[in-house]
Amino acid sequence: MSHGNIDRGEPNFTPLLDLVLQLIMFFMLSANFVMEQTAVEIRLPESIAAKAVEKTAESIFFLNINKEGRVILTPDQWEGDVHTLDNPIQVENYLRRRANEEKRRTKSDKLETVLILRVDRETEFRRTFEIMNACRRVGYERVQLRAILHGTLD
Amino acid sequence: MSRRHRGHAEHIDPDLPITPMLDMSFQLLAFFIMTFKPSPTEGQLAMQLPPPEQGGGAAMPDPFGDKPAKFIVRVVANNNGQIARMSIKEEGAAAPPIDLGADLNRYMNALKESLQRNKDKGAKLTLELDGRLLHEYVVALMDHALRAGFSDISPILASGSD
Repeated sequence: MSHGNIDRGEPNFTPLLDLVLQLIMFFMLSANFVMEQTAVEIRLPESIAAKAVEKTAESIFFLNINKEGRVILTPDQWEGDVHTLDNPIQVENYLRRRANEEKRRTKSDKLETVLILRVDRETEFRRTFEIMNACRRVGYERVQLRAILHGTLD
Repeated sequence: MSRRHRGHAEHIDPDLPITPMLDMSFQLLAFFIMTFKPSPTEGQLAMQLPPPEQGGGAAMPDPFGDKPAKFIVRVVANNNGQIARMSIKEEGAAAPPIDLGADLNRYMNALKESLQRNKDKGAKLTLELDGRLLHEYVVALMDHALRAGFSDISPILASGSD
């Protein structure tokens, strides 16, 4: 009854560790893919025909509009203490300041920014239309509506 | 130099303790799995902004020209902001508007037919929407129009509904 020749079997943990680390990497990366300008809680409508942003778009700017028709600015869009734009005149003035800044930066009279409206599904069209008109008066030509792709809603 | 002379006799196999690392990895993995919430995928619907002036009288049709045909869908909403009824007509045409009820499939079929009739010169679509209509239905109307084949869609406020 000698125990001297018994080989100790050791499980190989390395592939298991590799797999676990890859899973951690996946969850960490997918958890960080939240864009700041779309972080506002807006209940978007669903759409089948919606498409991803054009690859040619150099600059994208989001406007988050709640069901009362107010524009909710995200922290990177704040102007001092102004966190919301309550009426179309305020929206127009805000967009005009941004547009002037862009024109100065690009040294061009044409606005290339794609303006994406994230409008709550319960907003009345008259409110959205006022904001669309404000965008047009400022000179934005590329305006799109944001929607959730059908079938991806929780 | 002295190290090199030690030879293989004193070689020590390093014992890397992998268990604590695996424990920690599992804890991290459990945390990320529990807090993982896949965000719904978002996309855009392209549209044309409303023209500077609305209305301005009906334009005459251009039967011999290459100008794209322009169709107008007028949508009336009920008090809940849902679609109550729709009608479609070609701008400048003598024919009366065709009533589509509140059925979006009927609306899409009417758009497909209109586009089919004008496939050589193309067609534009103007949605004259009731101010009370909820955005959910605006997007549904645009979505059906895009699926019907229209790419130039302009939503405007129906006169008298602001």
